Amino acid sequence: MPPAPAIESLFIDELTAATRDVFKKMVFQEVEGSSPIAGEARRPKANVVGQVAFAGKTSGVVAFYSTMDAAQIITASMLGIEMKNINGELPDAIGELTNMIAGSFRTRVAHAKGEMWAISVPTVTIGSDFYTRYVSDVQRVLCPFRMKNKAELFVELIVTRSAGQ
Amino acid sequence: MRFLIVDDSSTMRRIIINTLNKLGHQDVAEAGNGKEGLDRLNAGPVDLIITDWNMPEMSGIDFIRTVRSMPEIKDTPVLMVTTNAAKDDIVEALKAGVNSYVVKPFTPDTMKEKIEAVLAR
Repeated sequence: MPPAPAIESLFIDELTAATRDVFKKMVFQEVEGSSPIAGEARRPKANVVGQVAFAGKTSGVVAFYSTMDAAQIITASMLGIEMKNINGELPDAIGELTNMIAGSFRTRVAHAKGEMWAISVPTVTIGSDFYTRYVSDVQRVLCPFRMKNKAELFVELIVTRSAGQ
Repeated sequence: MRFLIVDDSSTMRRIIINTLNKLGHQDVAEAGNGKEGLDRLNAGPVDLIITDWNMPEMSGIDFIRTVRSMPEIKDTPVLMVTTNAAKDDIVEALKAGVNSYVVKPFTPDTMKEKIEAVLAR
């Protein structure tokens, strides 16, 4: 089977725009992006990972990575509560955040390319010293962002292959 | 006024409740999917339903179709809040009986305006 095709820049641009928009509207803060990193040159250090799969003409996964501290800041801001009052809401908040990033990305690609994708329900993994591997042949691009407090976040696009390839 | 929020995300329910509270509305029932939403409606009518689309057990679209088929509650206004924003999605939602549509992500002002507009009908 030939290797999966390189991820096109439109996908990266739309994923970056979707992430900025979700943070601005739902987390109430701007995030500063930096250059995307293709492949597996850098693996984000994260305790919290949200994932949403998509399938259609193009298939793959949108993954969100953050530290536990950053995830707590995000959760508190989304819910309008203080960090000290977070009590079990973090997984659902990060799942919803990832769902909105993936959903907004899906809509943007639909408008730009006419591709319609189905997306999965979000899954959230919380822990330490784990690494996400994909068994099939994939292309990956990691988009780094920084929050106001300089905490680093990552949104990764993992593309398997397009139909017919 | 009494509201029903149907969403499998407790985070999204909380965000919408925060907006309703800021508008002065405190009487809000919650459900995690369309099936639970119908159970809440069987307990008593509401003035506005705010529902997600993609949910387990019963989707928002199936939930709205069912509501529209029930004579005693068929005219209840429905606001859909979802990431499904393609033109075909919006057409499908309107055909199912949605009165208005909010695309996630949204600002608090957008949600406030949509709620007020649906209630003003």
